[in-house]
Amino acid sequence: MSGALLQAAGVGIEFGGLRALHAFDLEIRQGDLKGLIGPNGAGKTTAFNLLTGVYVPTHGEIRVCGERVNGRQPHQINHLGLARTFQNIRLFRALTALDNVRVACLSDETPLFSRSRIDELRRRSAGRSPVAGAMDALNNYVDWWRALLLTPGFQEEEQEITRRAEELLKVMGLSQRRDEEARNLPYGEQRRLEIARALGTRPRVLLLDEPAAGMNTREKADLMVLIRQLRDQFELGILVIEHDMKLVMGICEDITVLDHGVTIASGAPERVRQDPKVIEAYLGDSYLAAHGMQVPPRSPTTETPAT
Amino acid sequence: MPAWLRGLVPVLIAIAVLAVLQLVLGEFPFFVYLASIVGVNVILAVSLNIVNGMTGQFSIGHAGFMAVGAYTAGKLSLLLKDVAIAGLPTMVSDQVQFVGTLLAGGVAAALCGFIVGLPSLRLRGDYLAIVTLGFGEIIRVIVQNLDMFGRALGLSGIPQTSSFFAVWFCVFLVVLVARRIVGSTHGRSLWAIREDEVAAEAMGVNTTGYKVRAFVISSFFAGVAGGLFAHFVPIINPGSFTFVKSIEVVVMVVLGGLGSTTGAIVAAIFLTLLPEALRTLFLQLGGLGAGASLAQKVDQIRMPVYGMLLVILMLVRPQGLFGTREVWDVLPRWWPGARKGIT
Repeated sequence: MSGALLQAAGVGIEFGGLRALHAFDLEIRQGDLKGLIGPNGAGKTTAFNLLTGVYVPTHGEIRVCGERVNGRQPHQINHLGLARTFQNIRLFRALTALDNVRVACLSDETPLFSRSRIDELRRRSAGRSPVAGAMDALNNYVDWWRALLLTPGFQEEEQEITRRAEELLKVMGLSQRRDEEARNLPYGEQRRLEIARALGTRPRVLLLDEPAAGMNTREKADLMVLIRQLRDQFELGILVIEHDMKLVMGICEDITVLDHGVTIASGAPERVRQDPKVIEAYLGDSYLAAHGMQVPPRSPTTETPAT
Repeated sequence: MPAWLRGLVPVLIAIAVLAVLQLVLGEFPFFVYLASIVGVNVILAVSLNIVNGMTGQFSIGHAGFMAVGAYTAGKLSLLLKDVAIAGLPTMVSDQVQFVGTLLAGGVAAALCGFIVGLPSLRLRGDYLAIVTLGFGEIIRVIVQNLDMFGRALGLSGIPQTSSFFAVWFCVFLVVLVARRIVGSTHGRSLWAIREDEVAAEAMGVNTTGYKVRAFVISSFFAGVAGGLFAHFVPIINPGSFTFVKSIEVVVMVVLGGLGSTTGAIVAAIFLTLLPEALRTLFLQLGGLGAGASLAQKVDQIRMPVYGMLLVILMLVRPQGLFGTREVWDVLPRWWPGARKGIT
């Protein structure tokens, strides 16, 4: 792998006078499993919203698969290969589990102009090509007619989408919930359904916003295995926001710590865990005590003492 | 049977069935008139359901789109009244022109839908409702002040080329379109927008694009409904396309259950026939004298009745008669057509 799939350089955003995120750097390559932690209000979810295009950054640059995406619509960024889950589960509640995933499984087949050709045009014009827009619109127009006339090609595509969605449900262990409405699923399964849905968009980078929130210890343990498995099976790069330190320390190979919108530490879990600034802002002394570690002296100049 | 034809089978069946019905029922003008009014309302309700129900965007300007279709088609028909297509018998020529004007009306309405929708579908909830309400009123006021459209007097003398077949074939088409949308990727995207716009966008659904498309399709059929309407009522005037008409359609959609196509059909039929049935009932009860005045009163109290119905419904069954389900979803389990799920 040469380039980074997701790259944020000096990204920042201000809401009015409030600097919610400042000089945020991140790089995710295929096979990476990184963590983003920090106290409440540190800007973790803001970072996710910036990366996925919900907010437009006021500073810096975000690249997905090498393409600059500042100011692009979230769905366009998603098409480039970035998918996410939400902190407070946002499933399509009245739809069945299967339909939730099927919504995300957009077909790659296009009736008139090939997707790669449109993408190429977009790339050359930094996302603002009227020709590409027109091609997209025409494709969509023809596609609607195919749906209305129930053409054989359309039916095949629908079957293919259903097959893919069923496969993803199986991977996430939700096969038996196929026809149940999303709102009727237990909490843990809703979380997993959200991941299945995100995978439906064929992402190359997956952003998980507190995937373990509300899960019990056993579900968390399963989730850890699952996240690793997903990374390998789907050849993803994964970024996780999580409060559960055991989970983050257990699976992440690299951790970024935010506090008040500023990156206060980043690196391998062991190093981050012992960083005095991280302990002060987030972990707290009791965490160290609980893990049999020595409380380091409170001085910003001190470098991580050994346990 | 070739595979590409399979999608058209329902259309062929509908044509056959409706043609037979046309032959049988064509002899009863009052019935055809009533059926046409019901049909137009069904088209309006089912098409509005695509926007209000499936996509979850609250539009209350449907009468505006209907007016655009009615006046476009009506005016065109008036202009073409004395023109016949060479080489065709008069009747065929008339019908061809009729279909042409219907399409023109639909396209004009769809264009309006596009123009209104493109900027305003970025708005949500109440704001969109206000924009669509404003649009409907603007159309009415424009028509009321143009000599070309006969001002407040409206257009009269439009050829009465509509028929039972024409109206109910359009009903069939709009229902088919609605059902096929629901069963496709596009329909699922619309549902996703209704359920959670932010999540839909994050899952790669072009939410603005889809909303505009739903709006355009919906207004196209509203325009067609207007065109049909113009060709069987003796006169169209701005009074037929007021805010009240829009609300009537919204009530039908809400009563049937937001998102349920069959619900919209049932509610549209019910709410159209209700005043007619009451009127006939009173006529028979009271003899001509008292009955006639009562009949007028029934028409006058229709709006309060609508309002009361809505209030009662919201209290008893906030999700509408069928919720998001279709008629066959609520059939008893032993019924062969019963099934589960939205799509």
